Amino acid sequence: MALEVLADCIITGDGPGAQIALRDALAAGAKPLTLLQDTLIPAMGVVGEKFGKGEYFIPEMLLAARAMKGCMAILEPLLVGIETGSAGIVIVGSVKGDLHDIGKNIVVMMLKGAGFTVHDLGVDVSPERFVAAVQEYHPQIVGLSCLITTTMPMMAEVIHALESAGVRDQVKVMVGGAPVSQEYAERIGADAFAPNAGVAAVAARDLLS
Amino acid sequence: MAIMTSRDRVLASLDHREPDRVPLDLGGTENTSIHMKAYRRLRPRLGLAEIEPAYLDFVQQIALIDDDVAEAIGSDVRSASESELRWADIEEMTTRTDDGYLAFHDEWGIGWRMPVDSGWYFDMFEHPLSGIISAGDLDAYPWPDLFASSVLLDFGNLRKRITDIAGREQRAVALSQIGVTAGGPLELFTWLRGFEDAYIDLIADPLLADRIIGRVADIKMAYWEKLLDAVGDVVDVVIESDDLGGQDQPLISPDTYRRVVKPHHKRLYDFIHQRTRAKIFFHSCGAIRSMIPDLIEVGVDILNPLQVSAAGMDSAEVKRDFGRDLVFWGGGVDTQHVLGSGSPRDVREDVRRRLGDLMPGGGFVFATVHNIQGNVPEENLIAMWETVREYGKY
Repeated sequence: MALEVLADCIITGDGPGAQIALRDALAAGAKPLTLLQDTLIPAMGVVGEKFGKGEYFIPEMLLAARAMKGCMAILEPLLVGIETGSAGIVIVGSVKGDLHDIGKNIVVMMLKGAGFTVHDLGVDVSPERFVAAVQEYHPQIVGLSCLITTTMPMMAEVIHALESAGVRDQVKVMVGGAPVSQEYAERIGADAFAPNAGVAAVAARDLLS
Repeated sequence: MAIMTSRDRVLASLDHREPDRVPLDLGGTENTSIHMKAYRRLRPRLGLAEIEPAYLDFVQQIALIDDDVAEAIGSDVRSASESELRWADIEEMTTRTDDGYLAFHDEWGIGWRMPVDSGWYFDMFEHPLSGIISAGDLDAYPWPDLFASSVLLDFGNLRKRITDIAGREQRAVALSQIGVTAGGPLELFTWLRGFEDAYIDLIADPLLADRIIGRVADIKMAYWEKLLDAVGDVVDVVIESDDLGGQDQPLISPDTYRRVVKPHHKRLYDFIHQRTRAKIFFHSCGAIRSMIPDLIEVGVDILNPLQVSAAGMDSAEVKRDFGRDLVFWGGGVDTQHVLGSGSPRDVREDVRRRLGDLMPGGGFVFATVHNIQGNVPEENLIAMWETVREYGKY
């Protein structure tokens, strides 16, 4: 069944196979939006689950995300003008002083794979830039990535900056990264903690539901 | 028991024998030192004169521990590396970018940068072998000629320093390759390729991954050959590194490790073992429990840093399961949740717990889990070392 093959190819990171299966499905009359919402996004959900369970590691996740990206490149022109019901707008960045990006990049990929519109602010992002991005993009979620203990305080700084700018209640703040914990997230007034990139999309969806 | 020399204390523990007290390491390796910012604050706290410290490692911004600090703390290990590199040199070696960073390219062509304003250390911003590359690109790449630098070839001075540490100071000596070359074959592969391309290569293009990992291992081996030829008979510990773990699980699957990386570790560590009786100290952060048996197989003698806060890496469990086969160098205090953010009392408690877990039967050198970071209060460091002194006796 073409749809199962498509899902499988995403899950196993077979980019070329996914594109062939996708084209087959489209040729057979499947609707682009349905393929996205019913096959591709759930497939990425399986990938995230497998990572969370320790079955998948970074290479497997990246390969799946790349396969998804290849399919999105085919679907996006076909979705222009169609209400895709984006799961939400998220801005993501590594906080000031933190130049690590691979963890954050995987989160961005997984959020996109779950149907979120994501603006990646990059690394070493100051509280001021987070505020500016909130004012520009009007996201539902602000994602803060912090990989080292020394920059953890910057997450609280971002939350303060959002408060000072009067936009804190317009967004939900989600935090993550190796040294971060649920307890720390609560302590600094974040709305959610994602323990790993695999479950970031689930956490984001839960935040908005 | 009679008081042992530092060196005998360390050697006994490396031999899985209980010495007089647990050996202590500050600054013996590039993963057991202290960030410059914390070091500058520590010196006056120890009642020592203000000086311009030298860097043990420039990228991580960690200090070369001076003799007076080693004495005051009671470090039983010294690094063989002798560095004259000071902040003025770093400012000269780097360029200031328009967007507020100090930047440089290392001997491998990798770009590093650190924020000028409140930066802690250098991180990569440029991966020279990223994107689509061919075998021809690899051949044409300007791989580092590590012997072109006179610093790396000053073996006479190196031997003198090592024999001085062992003979006059009577401390143990640890030797690593310097600079970015201290990284492992897998690490350098990811740093050259960029993380995304490298991780994907490991399963989607293992031939390419193997080529690059192998090339890096070859270069490191050639450098070890000269190093060990010059000083292999006088060093106690030889340092290798290759980060394999994340917070909750390995970065790559154990299967991927065994297929693509392990063969190169095996031949590199065999090569080293054939040329020195020194023990191999292997550094890997993170949750690597499932690969510890593999590391034992490839010839790792000492495991560092024992990130006790990572999944599956609790000090008691790892000691119980692998304490017969491995020496643990690190694991002395939880640096993610306690040393930097806890009270001195929290620190004392955690240190006592780790001592209890790791001391029995020797096979343990006390060090923090990785370098002491720049934001760690001196009071916590003093509390830590006092606790080791008080509770570290056998």
